[in-house]
Amino acid sequence: MGAVTPLGASVADFREGLFAGRCAIQKREYKADRFSLTVPVAPIDGLEARIKELSPQLMRADRFSQLAALAAEEAATQSGLEFNDALGARTACIIGTGIGGQSTFDNGYISMLCRERRPHPLTILKVIPNAAASHLTITYGVRGPSFAVSSACATGAHAIGVSAELIKSGAADVAFAGASEAILCYGALEAWKAMHILSDETCRPFSKNRKGLVIGEGAGVLVLEEESHAKKRGADILCRLAGFGMNADGKDMINPDVNGAAGAMSLALKDINISDPSRVYVNAHGTGTLLNDPTETKAIRSVFGDGADALAVSSTKSMHGHLLGAAGGIEAVTAILALREGVVPPTVNYDEPDPECDLDYVPNEAKERDIAVALSNSFAFGGLNAVTAFEKV
Amino acid sequence: MAELEPTLLEIIKDHAVGLTGEPSRETPIADLGIDSFSVVEIIYEVEEKLGVEVPFNANENPFGDMATVGDLIDALDKLIKK
Repeated sequence: MGAVTPLGASVADFREGLFAGRCAIQKREYKADRFSLTVPVAPIDGLEARIKELSPQLMRADRFSQLAALAAEEAATQSGLEFNDALGARTACIIGTGIGGQSTFDNGYISMLCRERRPHPLTILKVIPNAAASHLTITYGVRGPSFAVSSACATGAHAIGVSAELIKSGAADVAFAGASEAILCYGALEAWKAMHILSDETCRPFSKNRKGLVIGEGAGVLVLEEESHAKKRGADILCRLAGFGMNADGKDMINPDVNGAAGAMSLALKDINISDPSRVYVNAHGTGTLLNDPTETKAIRSVFGDGADALAVSSTKSMHGHLLGAAGGIEAVTAILALREGVVPPTVNYDEPDPECDLDYVPNEAKERDIAVALSNSFAFGGLNAVTAFEKV
Repeated sequence: MAELEPTLLEIIKDHAVGLTGEPSRETPIADLGIDSFSVVEIIYEVEEKLGVEVPFNANENPFGDMATVGDLIDALDKLIKK
């Protein structure tokens, strides 16, 4: 696993922040020429030295590719795999992004409209959503199926699920799977603000006084491996990707749908036998918006029935913000950490129960619980849903 | 040519990601660490700094047979004067 997040730029630091219930959200000013705005965001600071160690082309790439490269580096090292010529041919690389090289795009427009200069000549190579996936194929000599997935906030979960399907189909033995997002720049934040779904203070999922989402940046990348391939080389297998569900609401670009969310969760759970719901952790999509949280709550209730009250459900977006496309990547890492360590990370900033959100959201403090199944929910704008489910090996 | 050479040399130096030390006309191109990104960046910088349009097509390889920085400067000069 590899994680570069506002809570920490490695899995170990991310884990520490998650279990401590630390909130990485802060107000920050973003400027572009004569314009500026100040909004709560969840940024990552202090990566300059690590970025300078990347390949010359990655050093000149957009930040979303750089974050993906840092996360992939950690995942590749932990996997213990040697990406030689033979493995490169049998490796896939599915790295998604919700938006792509937004800050590069912003800079291009600022250059043209404010300074009457052409955009930088590498603009296209930096903004294309497949840039991160392509850079990773070059870094690791990957020659198997490789492309970018883009499904807004469900991107990371789709990337992981599609990678698993590719491995199951026999198209690859190993896959880099995950997503990256880095849109903390003036133009993108103004566009999000214009939708009136950004919180003006912090992110409070499932709490009645929630005021919206807070945008973060980061990347989460897994190295998936076909089970017998991993066992044959004596790999330290972290967990099994036991289920993946995806579907579409087919209803509305903004408003979420209970049936779509519930359907995706049910599909992810179809091969998993849940005997004790108190051993299930749901890393909720939990954006902290007015509509998502009660809709997701109803969807969870419809899937688990009476067992829903025994679940541990939390939205870690309350700590690391909404990483948009990368959310499903780092939240899969979160689900795996909870599964392996028997600790459920909390929903922080929770201080006012909402009758419409009536599950155990693990408010404000992590709790120990022996988890057998961990789910990661991702429900995107546009009504595209993807859920990953992990079990112990 | 003489007046353009220092500017071109400076631009090449800025984008020679693998270079250690000062480049001269005799420096082998292989020592510059120039990659596909650098070529596009060098052409752009030449156009911006000299206010010219270089008739360069990234799908062609007008720098194919060059061995030294001097060859590169001469090729750029030829493109600028096209």
